[in-house]
Amino acid sequence: MNVEILFAVLTGLPLTILITLTALGIGTLLAIPLLFGLRSTNRTVWFISRCFVDICRGIPPIVWLFVLFFGVSVGSARLSAFAAGVIGLGLVASGYLAEIFRGAVKAVHAGQWEAAHALGFPATSTWSQVIGPQVLRTALPGFTTYAIALLKDSSIVSILGVAEMVFTTSQLARSSDLGIFVYAVAAAVYIGLSVPLGVLSRSLDVKLRKAVA
Amino acid sequence: MTSGSFFYDFIQYLPQLLEGLKISLMITGLSLTIGVPVALFLAFGVTAKRKALRWFCVAVVEVGRGAPALVLLQLAYYGMPGAGITLPALTSAVLALSWTAAGYMAEYVRGGISAVPLGEIEACQAVGMKRPDTLRFVIIPQGLRIALPSLMGFAVMLFQATSLAYSVAVPELMSQAYSIGSSNFRYLNILIAAGVLYAAISIPSTWFSVLVEKRMNRHA
Amino acid sequence: MSEVLGPQQRGMTIPSQAITSSFPLDSPSAVLGAPKVQVSHLAKAYGDNLVLRDVSLEVPSGSVTAMIGPSGAGKSTLLRCMNLLERPDAGTIQIGEHLIDVAKGIAPKNLAALRRSTGMVFQTFNLFPHMTVLRNISLPQQRVLGRSSSEADEISHRLLSRMGLHDKAGQYPNRCSGGQQQRIAIARALALDPEVMLFDEPTSALDPEVGAEVLDVMKELASEGMTMVVVTHEMSFAANVSDQLVVMAEGRIIERGDPKDIMRNPQHERTRKFLHAVMER
Repeated sequence: MNVEILFAVLTGLPLTILITLTALGIGTLLAIPLLFGLRSTNRTVWFISRCFVDICRGIPPIVWLFVLFFGVSVGSARLSAFAAGVIGLGLVASGYLAEIFRGAVKAVHAGQWEAAHALGFPATSTWSQVIGPQVLRTALPGFTTYAIALLKDSSIVSILGVAEMVFTTSQLARSSDLGIFVYAVAAAVYIGLSVPLGVLSRSLDVKLRKAVA
Repeated sequence: MTSGSFFYDFIQYLPQLLEGLKISLMITGLSLTIGVPVALFLAFGVTAKRKALRWFCVAVVEVGRGAPALVLLQLAYYGMPGAGITLPALTSAVLALSWTAAGYMAEYVRGGISAVPLGEIEACQAVGMKRPDTLRFVIIPQGLRIALPSLMGFAVMLFQATSLAYSVAVPELMSQAYSIGSSNFRYLNILIAAGVLYAAISIPSTWFSVLVEKRMNRHA
Repeated sequence: MSEVLGPQQRGMTIPSQAITSSFPLDSPSAVLGAPKVQVSHLAKAYGDNLVLRDVSLEVPSGSVTAMIGPSGAGKSTLLRCMNLLERPDAGTIQIGEHLIDVAKGIAPKNLAALRRSTGMVFQTFNLFPHMTVLRNISLPQQRVLGRSSSEADEISHRLLSRMGLHDKAGQYPNRCSGGQQQRIAIARALALDPEVMLFDEPTSALDPEVGAEVLDVMKELASEGMTMVVVTHEMSFAANVSDQLVVMAEGRIIERGDPKDIMRNPQHERTRKFLHAVMER
């Protein structure tokens, strides 16, 4: 019985992972231009980026999902629930990730910029050779923490009817009188995924710290 | 203002949305009221000497942080009746979000406490202060102070997470918006209106927590 | 006896009875030479690393003992064992009437008594940053000695005036300079009427000029007859202020005696090397 429930819950897992990774990808791609926008000395560019980041983070994911699902249509075609879900979560993620990246860039010691400038590096190689690699390391803990949060937030897409893990769980819970048990299994699966991810990111962080320092 | 325009809808439905917002804020407040003391207890419990207590606290923290808030919400509302406990929607939402809040905040508080410089604790020992006094006057106030920006940031997240109570039919802001939308079919207008209200609380609160963090870094 | 001095009174006021009462010179019974601190056969190891090896030391009442030696010699550990911030593996510690024998275990009551009878000043000050200067000094008096808040505040104000810091009472420690913070830390320790003051490199975190302010306060305390144990790198303080010089190396006391004698004519090769290295700077 227990194993059956576990398997039933797990049928939603591939979609949960797919949603998480897609939203993370969208968020990361959007966060990179936003990072430069937030660092821009052009007030207009800065202001637009700042507003975009704050609005992405200031509105709960579920509202984004509903706006995209019910409100956005191209001609008569509406976004699919999956598309609305990953785009919505991706937008929210872009705001948070842009801030994480900005903090990571700030954490790179000022002397690194000065050294690169003094050596006469052009801007592109300052970023690609000097700052970028160090940012990858300083941003890693924040990035993985956010990825784990996103894994849990992906459950919100179930409200639009996408058959990821919480959707299958609540279907199962309502069709049996073992509701509490089914939810407990789902909770355990999420914890079982996020705890090792956290451990992995910490050990990776330690390794990179050693390699860099 | 023409009927059907965004501003028309916004003004017309604002009272109903504000009713929902009041409930969202109330859930946030209640969850923090329950969550903060529990978090304080858990923050010390996870390092307790007694094994049973320690593991219990670790489990409560890990479930609160590791399980999606949505799962805890639905567990409380849809799952508990199967175990013979039926809770009103609002109660189950508050309990579920309190658990999430306690789990996250316990980690922030623990981080704050472990950042209290050892030298200050030694100074307490050197002047002969007892452990409870050291906790009360030095470790807890300092630890909470250090954790304050994270706790404030989390309070904003918690406020946003109250929108998940929509899924258990608590008449908070998101539910109000959806029910208006499903009656007039102008989902976009009313959902954006709800988004504006969420943002109107979240964005300034976030700025405020960043400000507090900056001020504290300056004085540290 | 019951002189009343307003907290605002400037300069070096007469110490309050709460403070003078602990200065042994005031009482005829406190003959210089009777030991105030006596540690015997102290041993302490971190794993395989022996930091203290059978260390015994007497500190006569009303005297100043300076401890010098290369880093890692065990000076700070010995000092921190005296108020049991560091727990020795073996040996006995006596401060005034309080005797602790490590072998017999340390009862919380005895630990508290020992800590009450010693005051400690740290290298890094360790003031409480979330309390005003006044509260930093008053709170321990209230919680440890049970003084009322008005009584504690009065004593705090007097001590601050003595330190020349009466105008800092309402400020937070991070608004004060390092030298001021260290003097506040000294006031915090003195406020509890300790029998012995322990100083753990009190000027190492300070610029030389600022360190001098702190050393002046310490000299004055010494001249008033406070029993003091000072771990220091300040050779002139060790030579001119202390009554007894203790040289440590590798967890042992290798030499002890009159400071000027030792500095002029060190008996131990290790002492010679250390003094030579320090004087070279």
